[in-house]
Amino acid sequence: MADEAFTLLVDRYYASLYRFALSLARNPADACDLTQQTFYVWATKGHLLRDTAKAKTWLFTTLYREFLRGRRRDTRLTSLEELPATAADLTDEEIDRARRLDAALVLAALGAVAETFRAPLTLFYLEELSYQEIAETLGVPIGTVMSRLSRGKEQLRSALEAQAGQRQVVPFPEGHRRVLP
Amino acid sequence: MNNEEAKFRLRAYRSGGQDAGDATFGEALAHADRDPALRAWLAREQAFDAAVAEKLRAVVPPPGLREAILAGARVAPRRAFWRRPMGWAAAALFAGLVASVAFWRQQPDPDSVDTFARFALSDLRHGRHGGHGSATTALQTALANPATRLSGALPIDFSTLASSGCRTLRFGGRDVLEVCFERGGVEFHLYVTPRGDLPNLLGPRALAVGQASALAWQDARFAYVLAGGAGVEALRRLL
Repeated sequence: MADEAFTLLVDRYYASLYRFALSLARNPADACDLTQQTFYVWATKGHLLRDTAKAKTWLFTTLYREFLRGRRRDTRLTSLEELPATAADLTDEEIDRARRLDAALVLAALGAVAETFRAPLTLFYLEELSYQEIAETLGVPIGTVMSRLSRGKEQLRSALEAQAGQRQVVPFPEGHRRVLP
Repeated sequence: MNNEEAKFRLRAYRSGGQDAGDATFGEALAHADRDPALRAWLAREQAFDAAVAEKLRAVVPPPGLREAILAGARVAPRRAFWRRPMGWAAAALFAGLVASVAFWRQQPDPDSVDTFARFALSDLRHGRHGGHGSATTALQTALANPATRLSGALPIDFSTLASSGCRTLRFGGRDVLEVCFERGGVEFHLYVTPRGDLPNLLGPRALAVGQASALAWQDARFAYVLAGGAGVEALRRLL
């Protein structure tokens, strides 16, 4: 691929890929490595992709595979998928909370979602991929994606509530304050 | 379709409206249009999803990642010639030529600004920095001044600097001056070489290798590389 086309591809997708990597790896250094590795794989193997319209899905799929290669799957988290969905309707407070919290705290809440649900949920919120493309990226059936999105959103709501609870500032007792040198 | 089935599908419906034309959601959306309770539920889901999506978009990749990706791809191994879509007969005929070209392409081109930047990064990591002389000190003072834009006219008298003890290196048959300086507690290294016949650059060019970054640019007299460990954005702010 010509340098210009490669640069365009990087400019179009590197930020979204980084966000996806950050939600999977949960630390910026590993997220950078994953993002770089994904484009490195593209630079060496991308020419094998016959349908260039599939480049976006290919990049997200490659990043996810690179992540999975780096660690063994957690079977305990997978078993959570079997739990029945019991989602109550969203309240105004939950919607306000999602709007109020800063991006870092929302990202931390997303990081608290079990990985089985976190990957499709992050791809959903990045809004780059349709549910069919998410299924293709993760190598699971479409129904599984929908199921994981439902359960992932439930976990995210709980995690956001927990983040908001931690964020509440408790005043330090007056008598215990000291001046730092 | 009952409400629970519709909710199951609509949880996968992106709040940005990208899925509006998808038939999978059509029936569920029509159902929501007819049922006020389901419509209110969908509005809340979409508001929540839009808020989370917006927060996720606000996460900014670290400075230098884009440049590191582009630099990393440039050193990616090239596609093996036997996998190219050409016949074996043609491959045999042109094997010598291909090999020669491949060999030529692997040689560092001393007339390339990229090679100059790589040279600077290599020196940044492995070189022994330092230099002395009043001309060097005056240039260091100017570079350390927050008001100095490096892309503006810098007080560089190349021959005086070289002869008075400024650290001088050799790159592609050229002399290169290297000056270390600090700006806001961050250490930077400026490499300067006479422009000569270096190809014209349309604008500053960034390169990153590991934690080190470099920014190359030119003016009528010199080619410059600014290098450091604080990322490309930190380098750009000095230009």
